[in-house]
Amino acid sequence: MPILDWIDQRLDLADLRRFTAEKSVPVHAQKIWYYLGGVTLFLFAVQVASGILLLLYYRPSASEAYESVQFIVTQVEFGWLVRNVHSWSANLLILAAFAHLFSVYFLKSYRKPRELTWVSGALLLFLMLGFGFSGYLLPWNELAFFATKVGTGIAGAVPVIGPGLMRFLRGGEDVTGATLSRFYALHVAILPAATTALVVLHLLFVQRQGMSVPIKEADRLRAGGRARHMPFFPDYVLRDVLVWYVALAMLAGLAAFYPWELGRKADPFAAVPAGIRPEWYFLAAFHTLKILPSHVLGMEGEQLGVLAFGLAAILLVAVPFLDRRASRDEPSRAFTALGLAALVYLIAFTIIGYLAS
Amino acid sequence: MAAITRRRLLDSVLGAGFVSTLAAIVYPVWRYLIPPVSGEPSAQSVVAGQAGQVKPNSGSIFKFGSKPGLLVRTADGELKAFSAVCTHLDCTVQFKSDTSQIWCACHNGMYDLQGNVVSGPPPRPLERLVVNQRGDEIVVSRS
Amino acid sequence: MKGSLWPVVLAVAVAGGAVALPALAAAQSRTDQCVTCHASLPESRLAAPVRAFSGDVHQERSFVCVDCHGGDPTSPDRAQAHSTGRGYRGKPAGPQVIATCARCHSDATFMHKFAPSQRVDQAIEYATSVHGKRQAAGDTRVATCVSCHGAHGVRQVRDPRSPAYATNVAGTCGACHSSPDHMKGYTRADGSAIPTTQRAEYERSVHHSALVTQNDMSAPTCNDCHGNHGAAPPGVGSLTTVCGTCHAVFQAKFASSVHGQIFEKACIECHGNHAVTEPSDSLLGTSKASICASCHEDKDDPGFVGATRMRGAVDRLVNEINASSALIDRVRNAGMEVGDQDLALNEARSKLVLARTEVHAFDPEALDKVVSEGTGILGGVNRAGAEALDELAYRRRGLFVSLALILLVVTALGLKIRNLDRMR
Repeated sequence: MPILDWIDQRLDLADLRRFTAEKSVPVHAQKIWYYLGGVTLFLFAVQVASGILLLLYYRPSASEAYESVQFIVTQVEFGWLVRNVHSWSANLLILAAFAHLFSVYFLKSYRKPRELTWVSGALLLFLMLGFGFSGYLLPWNELAFFATKVGTGIAGAVPVIGPGLMRFLRGGEDVTGATLSRFYALHVAILPAATTALVVLHLLFVQRQGMSVPIKEADRLRAGGRARHMPFFPDYVLRDVLVWYVALAMLAGLAAFYPWELGRKADPFAAVPAGIRPEWYFLAAFHTLKILPSHVLGMEGEQLGVLAFGLAAILLVAVPFLDRRASRDEPSRAFTALGLAALVYLIAFTIIGYLAS
Repeated sequence: MAAITRRRLLDSVLGAGFVSTLAAIVYPVWRYLIPPVSGEPSAQSVVAGQAGQVKPNSGSIFKFGSKPGLLVRTADGELKAFSAVCTHLDCTVQFKSDTSQIWCACHNGMYDLQGNVVSGPPPRPLERLVVNQRGDEIVVSRS
Repeated sequence: MKGSLWPVVLAVAVAGGAVALPALAAAQSRTDQCVTCHASLPESRLAAPVRAFSGDVHQERSFVCVDCHGGDPTSPDRAQAHSTGRGYRGKPAGPQVIATCARCHSDATFMHKFAPSQRVDQAIEYATSVHGKRQAAGDTRVATCVSCHGAHGVRQVRDPRSPAYATNVAGTCGACHSSPDHMKGYTRADGSAIPTTQRAEYERSVHHSALVTQNDMSAPTCNDCHGNHGAAPPGVGSLTTVCGTCHAVFQAKFASSVHGQIFEKACIECHGNHAVTEPSDSLLGTSKASICASCHEDKDDPGFVGATRMRGAVDRLVNEINASSALIDRVRNAGMEVGDQDLALNEARSKLVLARTEVHAFDPEALDKVVSEGTGILGGVNRAGAEALDELAYRRRGLFVSLALILLVVTALGLKIRNLDRMR
């Protein structure tokens, strides 16, 4: 192609050409799970693009935020579409991130030498949740305001650092315009910077180490079995794009059937509406805290719950270092069982939490 | 032969599909980027009229957000603006040029040109708005 | 005799001193003795006035006890201080109270020095009042100046601590008028007993809540309808004009209506006098809760027909406003611009207010006209709402088209991949 020749003459694309010709992806029964990472990245790119578009018109102050979103949705051409895409893609992104995490977990792709890939990935999940929590407040409507109030209130339940953490998150004692400013900074600058760094690392690791194969497949290869591969270009890329288009179809369908509502502008002095609950990805944790008794083992129930979540997060990040058997390419059924239990708990409590409100 | 033609057909369908989905994304983004006519969220200030068209001792209703506003030019030529929402039961007030007062037709509430209640049931004065002139445009904003 | 003049000078000095010094002392202790003595008395009824007077508006203007009570303020001796020879009048009672206050308060020249814009006809007004007339006939239980203004802790009426301050008036009047014991034996012109429920009724009313809860100082209390110094119940013929001082539009419509020619008691017939509660649409019509039905029971009665028709018209407007409002809320929530529709809904609500006013003309034709103006506005709102919903449907269709395109690409990709696999 003439354009590529033009660039080749100036930048020497020989390495790149070799790379595209040689890069391949392992083929085995579980290869379908490989696409989840790509679709997560795709949805993140959609978020960045739609987020930048929203940035052109959004105003991050308590007196103008709601009106600016209303302006985007009513006055700006296709503003409703950009906003809908951003809101729905956020949910799909977090769903894809969780799916990616669980598939990698059950396939034990975190085992040596890919521990750091897992660590960067787990941290990325936390960042995605941070994006979700901070972004949710930005339209400054009733639901968002009270969800933030409840959510940051829970942060205040962390022992020792809780009250300080809550004041840090809220930018004060209560959720106010100061909170909005802070969450805006988090959402458009701090979290994107951290995410970019971690994504680059994560992709670098994947690129450097290639795709992991399930333990059974690794055993089969060690026993002399023939390795089966698929060229990255064009085979894998076509399939990746297919999955991305499926995600796009889901986005279009959701935007058409369940358009995001504007809600009512937040009134800090109004009473908390009944049945307030966070977005679905926090629902399991929220419902767990709700059903914990008020005092357990000499601690406040909420404090215990928050500590438990903190512990769970640390354990999640440390999984590759805890699962010794997997690192030896041995089956680690205990970890599989634990993972299944966690999955069941999350799904069940999300559903129960949704029904309870 | 048939296989090659079919492949070409598939490739052109695929190509056309890519291009059209790309267009379906680029076109809305392009329209989105063009600033809308109304400029910006107008919760705080509004163009209420043209200075040359507001005669002395007259008043007119203009839209201020989702509520009506009243623009008045006194006999002396001074421009004043108020929220046209009567403080009694939210009816829309009007300017009466024969008495140079602001009147609510619902229950005969009367306000003077400071917005203060002269007679009738309104319990509070009319909300006063700030008037500025930008060229020939009269810009009214919240105080 | 020849010699020094010193004895003469000395005599004059002593004589002069004997006159001057007591006078000086008297001037210094002009107010002291009443206050000094009474403040130390054990009976509270004699000591309390001294305490109360320190906050009195008269005291602030340097009036003292003897200005109302007479007597000798310089003497610590009771008999001398209270001697009628020095003008002591004691505690005024009955007509003496009026006379004591009126001595200054009805003297325009005198009052000009202290409160130039204050009225000086209170005593004359009082004489025309029921209280004044009964007092002139010898009744000692009726209200006098001090009953409402206090005697020693008098404050200006605009001071919230005054019993005559707007929010305190009902309690002040009620001190006598709500007490069955006090009002025993008093009858109206027609012989019926004067009720004692007015204060309780007033406190249920919309006027009371406007005054006390919403701080609307223009809301009426007892004196606004009954007068303050010339207090008397409004004459039956003047009821519309009394209510009409504030509710002018209703008075005008009612006066020209068919009921205006019939009802003696005018506004009070339907709305009550003291317990004027928040009116609602249920007062209109022919249901059990309505007032119309208390006279218009017969289905063939033109009043019955009219009442049904008018209630129907108002209800129609109310329901249409609610429906349009819900539609616009739905559209607004879906993210469509509805500023113009909000304005129009405001106009329609104004028409409802006007309609409820028009009811008082008791003319179904006129009411229909106002209601149809409202429904006309709502027609425009509903059209705009429907257009907005159409726009939403159009967007949905547009997204379906995109969805179809995307699925086309997905299918084509799937086929391409299958072909690729086959080739390999």
